[in-house]
Amino acid sequence: MGRDFRRREPAFIGRWRIACFLCAASWLLCFHAPAWAHKVMIFAWVEGDTIHTQSKFSGGKRAKHARVVVYDKEGNQLLEGKTDEKGEFSFKVPKRTDLKIALKASMGHLAEWTIPVEEIAPILDEAEGSPEVGPQVTTNEAAPLTQTETAAEPPAPVAVGLSRQEAKALIDESLDRKLAPIVKMLADQVGRGPTVSEVLGGIGYIFGLAGITLYFLSRRKG
Amino acid sequence: MHISEGVLSPGVLIAGAALTTAGVAVGLKNLDHEEIPSVGILSAAFFVASLVHVPIGPSSAHLILNGLLGLILGWKAFPAILIGLVLQALLFQFGGITTLGVNTLNMALPAVMCYYLFGWGMRLGTKQALFTVTAFACGACSILISGVLVGFSLYLTGEAFLPAAKLVVAAHVPVMLIEGVLTAACALFLRRVKPELLEGQYGPRLSSS
Repeated sequence: MGRDFRRREPAFIGRWRIACFLCAASWLLCFHAPAWAHKVMIFAWVEGDTIHTQSKFSGGKRAKHARVVVYDKEGNQLLEGKTDEKGEFSFKVPKRTDLKIALKASMGHLAEWTIPVEEIAPILDEAEGSPEVGPQVTTNEAAPLTQTETAAEPPAPVAVGLSRQEAKALIDESLDRKLAPIVKMLADQVGRGPTVSEVLGGIGYIFGLAGITLYFLSRRKG
Repeated sequence: MHISEGVLSPGVLIAGAALTTAGVAVGLKNLDHEEIPSVGILSAAFFVASLVHVPIGPSSAHLILNGLLGLILGWKAFPAILIGLVLQALLFQFGGITTLGVNTLNMALPAVMCYYLFGWGMRLGTKQALFTVTAFACGACSILISGVLVGFSLYLTGEAFLPAAKLVVAAHVPVMLIEGVLTAACALFLRRVKPELLEGQYGPRLSSS
């Protein structure tokens, strides 16, 4: 039939025409819309005695009302909450342990962030005045006393005795405030979508695989 | 649609991987020398489609194009989608390596189902209106079935089936419409420009091979 005759030669050219069309279409779609994607991410940081988390889909859309579950090192659930309208959820440090914070968004999405115990421990020491720190504080208070006896300079030691804790709190507070924009920036960086090079790389892989398959099949035939 | 690592139980993962292996085997068995370029191109289209985000609805949804793949490739949608998903997992961290089996099954099985459900409309004799409607239905239904399958996978791991499935399907209603239109547009384009491609799948050649 005429169809068979027609199939022979132009088939390959036609195929390339479709290839070009699909490539152009996907290229346009890809770069027209922002390269947004399908993945959830959670980013958590310690600020004072509170842990803040920010959850979002890659590309920047915040994960609203998503479940956030906090586990300890052994995987026991410590607490759980829901993100607010901005995809944020904050909680007080619950326990002295590595915290594993899991975001369980709907539809089988899961992301995790771990906060190591080293980041939490100093805050807990301070806030709870745990037994290890207790004596330290008393020695600090005792030290100025001995100093006053020896140096006989009252105003300075009093300032030193107060400042140890207060200065730390002040510094922490101002650092938290100064670093807040940077932390936010980092949180935004975590959610960067795939780059152009990754997209093109993937397409290249697929065409390469098709080419390799064709090569071996043609060798087998010939 | 991409289920992340660590969500599903090992049993579901293994079952998904086994079924996907079977599907890929069927697809590769049917694979003809001449069809490899179209499989590659559609695999690339699938790979890129997931970056096209549809910002409507409660969550983040993106195009999948499994209806189009099913319509043109039939069982060969299995290997095409598997390759696309491997690269998405490696390059974009969508889904994951362990969930590859389940994710492929969730997206490729609806493609094959829609191929059998709506493929009859693709024969060249059909009227243009019927052709368009079946292509649209194919694109939309494959997303719907995918959503139900994702809900089912989550159900097998312990979530309640109806809320999970409802959520996934509700999130993908805009995607369903867009994909229906896209699939219909692509099918019409192929019918006009390169009918051999559809003929190869649905025409008289099928019976001879």
